[in-house]
Amino acid sequence: MRRDPLARKGLLGRLPQAWRQPLAVSGVVIAVAWLVIAVAAPWLAPHDPLAQELPRLAPPGPDHWFGTDQLGRDILSRVMHGARVSIPLTLALVALSLLIGGLLGACAGYFGRWVDETIMRLADLVFAFPTVILAMVVAAALGASLTNAVLAVLVVAWPAYARVTRGLVLGVREREFVLSGRLLGFSAWRSLRVDVLPNVTGPILVLATLDIGTALLLLSGLSFLGLGAKPPSPEWGAMVSSGVEVFDSWWVATFPGLAILTVVLAFNFLGDTLRDALDPRTARAIKERAL
Amino acid sequence: MATRSQTAAVLLAGALALAACGSGGAQAPAAQSGGKTLVIDTSFDLKTADPGRTYEPTGLIVGKATYETLLTFDGSDVTKPVPALAESYELSDDGKVLTLKLKQGATFADGSPITADDVVFSLTRVRDMKGSPSFLLDGVEVEKTDDTTVTMTSEKANAALPYILPNPALGILNSDVVKENGGTADAQDKAEQYLNANSAGSGPYQIETFNVSSQVVLKANPQYHGDKPAYEKVVIRNVESATQKLNVQRGDSQLALNLSGDQVANMPDTLQVKKTASANVFFLLANQDSEISDVTTNAKFVEAVRKGVDYSGLLELAGEGAARAPGVIPSQILGALPEGEAVQRDVEGAKAALAESGLSNPTVKLEYPTELTVNGLSFQPLAERVQANLKEVGITVDLQPAPVTTALDNYRNGKEEMGLWYWGPDYPDPNVYLAFLPGQLVGERAGWKAGANKELEELGEKAATAIGDDARTQAYQEVQRKLNESGPFVPLIQPSQNIVAATSVTGIEYHPVWQVDVADLGVQ
Repeated sequence: MRRDPLARKGLLGRLPQAWRQPLAVSGVVIAVAWLVIAVAAPWLAPHDPLAQELPRLAPPGPDHWFGTDQLGRDILSRVMHGARVSIPLTLALVALSLLIGGLLGACAGYFGRWVDETIMRLADLVFAFPTVILAMVVAAALGASLTNAVLAVLVVAWPAYARVTRGLVLGVREREFVLSGRLLGFSAWRSLRVDVLPNVTGPILVLATLDIGTALLLLSGLSFLGLGAKPPSPEWGAMVSSGVEVFDSWWVATFPGLAILTVVLAFNFLGDTLRDALDPRTARAIKERAL
Repeated sequence: MATRSQTAAVLLAGALALAACGSGGAQAPAAQSGGKTLVIDTSFDLKTADPGRTYEPTGLIVGKATYETLLTFDGSDVTKPVPALAESYELSDDGKVLTLKLKQGATFADGSPITADDVVFSLTRVRDMKGSPSFLLDGVEVEKTDDTTVTMTSEKANAALPYILPNPALGILNSDVVKENGGTADAQDKAEQYLNANSAGSGPYQIETFNVSSQVVLKANPQYHGDKPAYEKVVIRNVESATQKLNVQRGDSQLALNLSGDQVANMPDTLQVKKTASANVFFLLANQDSEISDVTTNAKFVEAVRKGVDYSGLLELAGEGAARAPGVIPSQILGALPEGEAVQRDVEGAKAALAESGLSNPTVKLEYPTELTVNGLSFQPLAERVQANLKEVGITVDLQPAPVTTALDNYRNGKEEMGLWYWGPDYPDPNVYLAFLPGQLVGERAGWKAGANKELEELGEKAATAIGDDARTQAYQEVQRKLNESGPFVPLIQPSQNIVAATSVTGIEYHPVWQVDVADLGVQ
């Protein structure tokens, strides 16, 4: 027989059900760890990530835990500093696409008619292209730099938010409380902000959290292809790319690759958890499997 | 939508993983090391087996094995052409007429004798087909004087001609066979298809099968008029370098041609590694066109760069076997500067030069090609090292990597502020390097227009018309000294060409023109 999860006391016991899943806990721990690393990299990193002063291609060992790359730079330090490049950019990217996509989607759903048509056909247009290829084209056309890579990913990322938001707003738009607000003389903007927004944030936040992993992968992918970060910036995708050239020294590509993997996993776990927490039906199903 | 982007994410992750794993190239045919078969792994750069159209490294290996030229080089010494199908040659005093006496008794694979007509046909064919190697014989008239004598007349003094003739592109074809199969020796020539499946030459090998993307199989020519080669069959496979290493370690292949300095660093004793400085020279260029930059046009700035680069650090990146390039002419070619004359790093001197230049904290863009490797060495680490070196001097270098085609475009049009490139000789004669002078091919790429340095241009003209090895050596060395003083180029290094081979293979020698001569290899 299972123990009643509510009977447990302690820190874990006080958390909502969904957050007590092992995956949720590991997601939070890893994500927080990376955020700490990103903030504290200058103090945590044992070496200057750009200094070419160590022996070249030294395997992982007590002196440099993750080994060194072909220019004699410490990979551990570069991976740590890489968090300062990749994570803030990814978060900013997701926030921006959420803002742009959400706003456009809300307008489309709320106003309908030609506004809806215009915005959604535009979204369809972007959807019609394979994401990665379109991002590559945009990044190549703008020239290789991290800012341009973010812009490129932004171009392909917003329509997802626009669609979801539009669908949610459509569902809420005709509800009584929204209509009565309108009848009371609320402006469209106020109605959207006060009546509609609180009812659609949850699912969109879930989408955004799940999207962080995708965005990071896309950004690193562009850098891997030489369309993102410029050398010698310690960006993870670019580091993996340089590791491919020294294939025999596995550590050069492996550690930045693992960094990407863990961040993507952590945010996917977080996104799943958030969805479970905000969706009562799935939440009930999980109750059975609580910690 | 979430599924869509998740699918994309999975695909991308898969692509990254695949790339990280390094995709293996061709599938391996069973290598019979016991028989007399030699398996060579190389990354193919191959378009055709028609010598008259060949100018790619892999094509030159095949061409060298299947055709013979009038003159050749002995081993890897390219400073002295030696007789091959021609038993002797003589250059007239004005350098315009080269007279060649043909060797008697040499025959094609079908048994017919090699005549002066075949020579005239083959060489005019290369020149008039307007293929990639046509430029080798631009302005050269080939005539038969009698059955055993051929003269080659150039418009201008052409002391380089004996050094050009050993190029496998100038292999002698059986004119009767080629004519029967569509050969017309002009732009309408249709013999390529035939020559891609058959050999119409007199070389020690003949083509058995030929596939430009996967593998080439050569079999020994049973009628060869010279010494029989040691291997009955030679298989040349298109294999990516990481896989080349695995294959040669497993004994799946006997020769790997494209391993980088890092890849050959820890080879087991069961394999032999031949490291030779290649004839490719990496160099930096600083644009002299004031419309492109007002930093790199400053002579003192160029001096600061020249003194600021840590050459030994670059050598370290290139691995053992690499060599400093004291001038633009690589060590194996006539006229190369002795290594002692190479510029040495001098950070204080560089800082002083920068101070004199009047520029404070200059920032320059350095362009270089990505996804291009030269002897297994890619440009990125070199560029990053140069960036770090120059930072110590006080010059900020903004790296601008670009895909080869884009980067080449800027380079060829002279649009790069600074560039990191390499130059490989078209043929092993120093006159190739006159391209670095103002108004010439590479000079123009650095925005260095004709008339920019009169003294150097005169020296160049003197070198171009000099006759005799001593006079030429002196003239070309003078040109390079002057270039090192006041030119916009900074010669860096010659990367190492590494050949890894099974111990059973003997006589391995890296050749700057055709990499390896398979007929020269022996079995232990």
